[in-house]
Amino acid sequence: MTTLDQKPASSEGRKDPWSQMLQKVGKHQDREAYHALFEHFGPQIKYYAMANGLASHAEELVQEVFVSIWRRSCLYDWRKAAASTWIFTIARNQRIDMLRKMQRTSAEMPVETEDLWQIPGENENEPVTSLHRLMSERRIRESLSHLPEEQITVIAKVYMENKSHQMVADELDIPLGTVKSRVRLALNKLKVILQDQNV
Amino acid sequence: MTRHHPDSLSLMEYSAGNLSEPHALCIKLHLDKCSHCRSRVDTLDSLGAVMMEQQPKVTVSEGMFDNILSKIDSEPADEPAVPVIPRVSALQKLLGEDLNSLPWKRQLGDVSVLDITDRFPGQKEQVVLQKLAAGGKAPAHTHRGEETTIVLQGAFADQKGVFNQWDFVVLTDEDEHKPVAVGCEDCITLSVLSAPVKLTGTFTRMLNPFIR
Repeated sequence: MTTLDQKPASSEGRKDPWSQMLQKVGKHQDREAYHALFEHFGPQIKYYAMANGLASHAEELVQEVFVSIWRRSCLYDWRKAAASTWIFTIARNQRIDMLRKMQRTSAEMPVETEDLWQIPGENENEPVTSLHRLMSERRIRESLSHLPEEQITVIAKVYMENKSHQMVADELDIPLGTVKSRVRLALNKLKVILQDQNV
Repeated sequence: MTRHHPDSLSLMEYSAGNLSEPHALCIKLHLDKCSHCRSRVDTLDSLGAVMMEQQPKVTVSEGMFDNILSKIDSEPADEPAVPVIPRVSALQKLLGEDLNSLPWKRQLGDVSVLDITDRFPGQKEQVVLQKLAAGGKAPAHTHRGEETTIVLQGAFADQKGVFNQWDFVVLTDEDEHKPVAVGCEDCITLSVLSAPVKLTGTFTRMLNPFIR
């Protein structure tokens, strides 16, 4: 088994340890690998739940996410998404789903959460892999360390506290335009803005 | 104003899961057909994963993993472990197979509308389908607030260009346009009006993005 005591610093184009483990869960229902994923991602997901207002349901969310990981792991393809990206999107969807179910009955939801928010790599039309996908987490991790704090703060509020750009502006008491320009600067450096041809 | 593709800021709000359901639907319909934007969202999803990894971690209760194991063990063996990937798109679930046979309400001239806000309970935005008859013209108009539109069928053109099926457009009150349906099909669009609005008879008509 792979050593778990450090963050997987994957080399480009190769599977990182978490992705390997997730694949073992998918292929062989490997419970040891599943446990390792739980130890690593469980505490992150619990924080995620707490940060965006689900404090009293944080553990419930962690549990839902892991049950979902187990069920869907056979669909996971490491060539299409890194395990952490895949798990992040499952956590995001379970959070959305939990909030939707708290707010209304299933009869009121003709469209399911996953019809609206897709898990990467589960679109069967998707051609197998693009290299940038495998590289992107590593590249993002490296680029983030060079971003000014004010840009990271804004991105963290959007992703972790699920605040809209407008809500971030209100909270930090800065104009919406400033929030947007910080996000754009950051996304530029992270090369997320690949070719925004729509100006 | 965003034309043809969603801008990176909207895609980021989508990836973070912060958009309302109607807005998420517009983005998702576009993503289903646009690999370029899908790949941008993949990168943004990775940004989300890295942000989550860099936050504090909170210890989970002891015994939780065992609870999870007993939960997965209690699932009936004959039930497929894998959720069936939906073959029916969100659009079909909402509107059925044939957009043309919906109960359209004819408005001025070549324009018909159908308000589908009630399909999104609990959401603040107004959601409207519009149909511009093939070759038809909508009167010149501007937009109030912000309006996100995706082309579901056919195409329309205005001074700024041609918008084909699955193109994405965001218009604001600064955009005045005079759309014309091009091609031999009726042009059908789905629009989300972000500002909460009062739905009164005449006002509804004024909100119609083709005629406003």
